[in-house]
Amino acid sequence: MCRGPSRTDRMTRTFSIFGSSSAPQLGPLEQLLLREIWARGNATVRELLDDGKLRQAYTTVMTTMDRLYKKGLLDRAAEGRAFRYTPRLTPQELQRGAALDGIRQLLGSDDTSALPLSYLVEAISAHDAQLLDELQLLIDKKRRELKTGEPDTGRPRRKENL
Amino acid sequence: MFVLRGLAVSLTFFVLFYCLLSALVSISWRGLRWLHTTERRRADLLFLLRVLPLLASVIITFAFVVPSFQLLEPRSIDEGMGTMPAALGSGALFLIFWGCYRVVVAQRRTSRVVARWIEGSRPFEQGRTSLAFRSPREAPPLTLVGMRKPRVLVSDSTVELLTESELDIAFRHELAHIRSCDNIKKLVFRLSPFPGMAKLEAAWSQAAELAADDAAVTNVHDAVDLAAALVKLSRLVPVDAPPACTVGFLNGSLSARVARLLAWDDSRRLQRDGIPGWAALPPVIVAAFCICFAYGPLLDITHEVTEWLVR
Repeated sequence: MCRGPSRTDRMTRTFSIFGSSSAPQLGPLEQLLLREIWARGNATVRELLDDGKLRQAYTTVMTTMDRLYKKGLLDRAAEGRAFRYTPRLTPQELQRGAALDGIRQLLGSDDTSALPLSYLVEAISAHDAQLLDELQLLIDKKRRELKTGEPDTGRPRRKENL
Repeated sequence: MFVLRGLAVSLTFFVLFYCLLSALVSISWRGLRWLHTTERRRADLLFLLRVLPLLASVIITFAFVVPSFQLLEPRSIDEGMGTMPAALGSGALFLIFWGCYRVVVAQRRTSRVVARWIEGSRPFEQGRTSLAFRSPREAPPLTLVGMRKPRVLVSDSTVELLTESELDIAFRHELAHIRSCDNIKKLVFRLSPFPGMAKLEAAWSQAAELAADDAAVTNVHDAVDLAAALVKLSRLVPVDAPPACTVGFLNGSLSARVARLLAWDDSRRLQRDGIPGWAALPPVIVAAFCICFAYGPLLDITHEVTEWLVR
């Protein structure tokens, strides 16, 4: 059955529509290169290509790295005729910044700020309920393990206490 | 004039030390994250750091500034108060009154809310503790209330929702808070306001919760029961924003607490703290000796700084 988009889906789409967001918008290659730099700590374009994971041309990678530098996500220092790139932010810092920016945009999106705020509260409540369900599953699993004395393999859940 | 000048100079020193130490603490407390120690010790250290600016400023003012002014300032000279001591002294008075006002407001608000929760409550013993009370009114699930006579207030819905063993371990958790006077500590925080301390207080709150978890749990079954109680009570809709001087059962990060309890290892209970308590003794003795021998010169230096400030 095909259903229309939920309110949360619409909200997610709203976030992605904000092209004018102050948070940097990243393409697939930019994300890939950023992950590589995070994994390595620092690298030159040649080192990234020598790894064999990238199929792109040297100039493509160089241009993309330059774009990441201009977006303020990488630092660079001259090393011979090339640049050595280092990440300016950790993955957590980038994620946090993007989330905060999204929330700020949402809350300040129009004059009736109570409406976006109610979406946010709804999304958080749904997330909380899901988190509690997940934690309850873990507790039930642990109880089964303690009862049988061996690690649980995912048998059907027994309703307990509640 | 002499007394007024002395008061202004003392208050000036107090506010300068207080602001300097508070700024240092608000920057440096995060270093404790890398300290390998028990949660109880971590909570104690965070509390000590939080109150250190106020405590140290009061000690320095009364141990050095006031005696140096009394002993070394000539009473015969008719000197003005000086702009700087007058301004900073007023700032210090404002800070002191602001701290006291925050304490009084927090205490009054807490008393008002707790009186409403506790109305019609009855002792709830069932082989547990005489400090437990069951509230028929809309109260938070499980809360530690009261300063002089601390009590654990439990709501009807909590009693219905939790099993016997879960309720028992939840009570033990709250009793651990009573033993470490956590609600009084929360009130003490109000006494010393300074921007940027909220994160330190949140870190202390989380460490105090984990420490109470550790004190309550004796084996892996207790740990699972406590985790189950946390998850069950988190589903209850909060009735009121808890007032400042109460300690709720659901404080701190729920997922972090549950994950920690589910990974409980019985050997953790026997784990000794990395830093023994007596380790603080040698530095304290050395500092006391240094202060004793250097007290005279320190008073001289303090008086010179006083003179510089007044001019």
